[in-house]
Amino acid sequence: MTHLLRSALVSLGALVLVLLAPPAAHAAKVTLDRSHWGHEVGEKCTSCHEKASAGLTKQWQDSAHAKAGVNCMDCHQADPKDVDAITHEGYVIATVVSPKDCGRCHATELAEQQGSVHAEAVALIQDKIPALAHNLTGAAMEAAGCAQCHGSVVKVRGDGTLDPATWPNSGIGRVNPDGSKGSCSSCHGRHRFSKAQAREPSACVRCHFGPDSPDKEIYEASKHGMFYAAQRDEMNLGSDTWVAGKDYSAAPTCVTCHMGAAGKLPATHDVGMRNMWSLNTPVSQRQHLVVFEDGDKRELPDTVEAPKRGTEIDKGNGTVGKVKAVATPERRRQAMSSVCLECHSKPLVTDFMKQFDDVVVLFNEKFGAPATAIMQDLYARGLLTPQPFDEPIEFTYWELWHDEGARARHGAAMASPNHAWWEGMYLVGRNFYGRFLPQVREVAGPTEGEAIVRKHLADVAGHAWLAQPQRTNPILGYPPQPAPAAAGGAAP
Amino acid sequence: MTKPRWFPNLVLTRHVLFAIVAGGVAGVLFMVFLIEFDHYTSTAEFCTTCHSMKIAEDEYRQSAHYRSASGVRADCGHCHVSEGIFAATWDHIKGAKDLFKEIKGKLVGPDYDDPVINALHAPEAAFAARRQFRANDSANCKRCHVLDAILGKRPDTAAIHREDAKGKTCVDCHMNLVHRKVPDEQTFKREAWNRMIEAEFGLAPGTADRLLAE
Repeated sequence: MTHLLRSALVSLGALVLVLLAPPAAHAAKVTLDRSHWGHEVGEKCTSCHEKASAGLTKQWQDSAHAKAGVNCMDCHQADPKDVDAITHEGYVIATVVSPKDCGRCHATELAEQQGSVHAEAVALIQDKIPALAHNLTGAAMEAAGCAQCHGSVVKVRGDGTLDPATWPNSGIGRVNPDGSKGSCSSCHGRHRFSKAQAREPSACVRCHFGPDSPDKEIYEASKHGMFYAAQRDEMNLGSDTWVAGKDYSAAPTCVTCHMGAAGKLPATHDVGMRNMWSLNTPVSQRQHLVVFEDGDKRELPDTVEAPKRGTEIDKGNGTVGKVKAVATPERRRQAMSSVCLECHSKPLVTDFMKQFDDVVVLFNEKFGAPATAIMQDLYARGLLTPQPFDEPIEFTYWELWHDEGARARHGAAMASPNHAWWEGMYLVGRNFYGRFLPQVREVAGPTEGEAIVRKHLADVAGHAWLAQPQRTNPILGYPPQPAPAAAGGAAP
Repeated sequence: MTKPRWFPNLVLTRHVLFAIVAGGVAGVLFMVFLIEFDHYTSTAEFCTTCHSMKIAEDEYRQSAHYRSASGVRADCGHCHVSEGIFAATWDHIKGAKDLFKEIKGKLVGPDYDDPVINALHAPEAAFAARRQFRANDSANCKRCHVLDAILGKRPDTAAIHREDAKGKTCVDCHMNLVHRKVPDEQTFKREAWNRMIEAEFGLAPGTADRLLAE
């Protein structure tokens, strides 16, 4: 009973969180008055900069910022004590403009963005970088690859310059010299910061593209992308408010479903809030989103009970935080589905989500969980060295969930049949049976290998077909066996 | 020998005449000496007779002021010693403090020949040099760089210098051209600088502060 009550309270908290956020149908209007910007010195910058960096200056001149009187110094001003403060033409400025700087006016967006999966993108991969970027290739790839999407930890050197190993960078989870996390310009290209540009799917493509997260390709291959390509001029992308079903209905973009306003659902800059599943893990989990009093957030698998509002729990980084609200997986799904409902019927949405969930569960149970258990077994038996990527099977396992498995799950989530199947689950199956299992037998030897495979696959119904090697199918040209000649009986 | 009536008899004796001539010659010789002295003591060759200046020289040799495409080469004194015999001499008298510091460093420390010590003190040296450039309106830059002749490679470089440099002196924008990059005094952070130097020379954290305190 208390459990039920607690769940109800938690859900209520999440409801409040989701629904009573400022009912912004768009980036919240800045409520400050004009006295908060229009820095006196900032009016002078363009005199030089329209000569020295004309393109940049023109972009700003064409921006909503310029129209509202927000000038260079409003964003780039710094205190001499700031670690990254430099003197430029006699004035103290900082090169890096952090979410904290943007948040001086855009407070709502900052509060939402804080603690989001985007803001925490560096922490997501920090322990993987040594194995992937450093061992597999070299540290140069961290700056040019990983950190360009996930964000760098910007280092200011003792002479005030920014370390080129960490800058330039507009990765989404950039750890800034002022301690804030994120880079607004990751999506809102500087120096125009156009609403329309950020609402375009291309705002996401720089990172959500390629073998491990082909969201661009999936979107383009989906009906949603088809409509967008055909009806882009009806998208009303530059509109002040941008509520799905009200301000536009030609097609949804990435922003529409993951951040956009729809019906009573407010827009949010917490891009992961509506995602019920973790799709980029070896085994997907349904997740609670725990919001702490200080704005930090943490994803918790729903295999553990949702923490109660007001309790103090580990924030996932070793520090403890007080729980402000929890969005359960059901609430998160409900939020996402409410976007769908602007264009689709309720049964369609529910059943679409079932098709998606079934793919995730299939991947989990048939491939993700057994493959993970087999790998752990191989490590435990000392058949693999603990060092990642020095044995072929480690690549096979990694790509199974990180690339092909993620593609399959994303494909199902966003309705691209080809990514769910040919680019996704087909490859998962091919590599599980064609590479992974043979490599297990190779690593462990035929007898022990077979024992390991049996141990982990015996109870998984999806693998039962392996026990029927005599069954035929014409797909590879082998003719179907004639029906056994029954004595006097006719084949149906 | 008759003297003009107006010539004061009492003063112009033979000795006096000799003194005037001798003094004049000595004076001219002294001026010539000063010119030559100022000239010689403005060269890298002279400056680097102090060991610690070798570090500054290494940086200088990597800079555009040493290796310019046009073949024009600025020597130490072109930037750091004023033009004109009196000003140049005065700068050398002031600059003698560097010599005393070098000698004192050898006897009791700090030893500026040590690259770590040198790097730790570089910011103050840079701030002092910038103050001097500001005080004389970057006069030494203007010995070679003429505003009207600044065209630059980019189309608007000339316009920026014509329109936006008004009321500014060269060093306001152009610093860190030759020696180790040092931030502006206003935003300089000793703590961060010390940590950077420690990392650069592989020293334990705190070494810099101890060296500076010594």
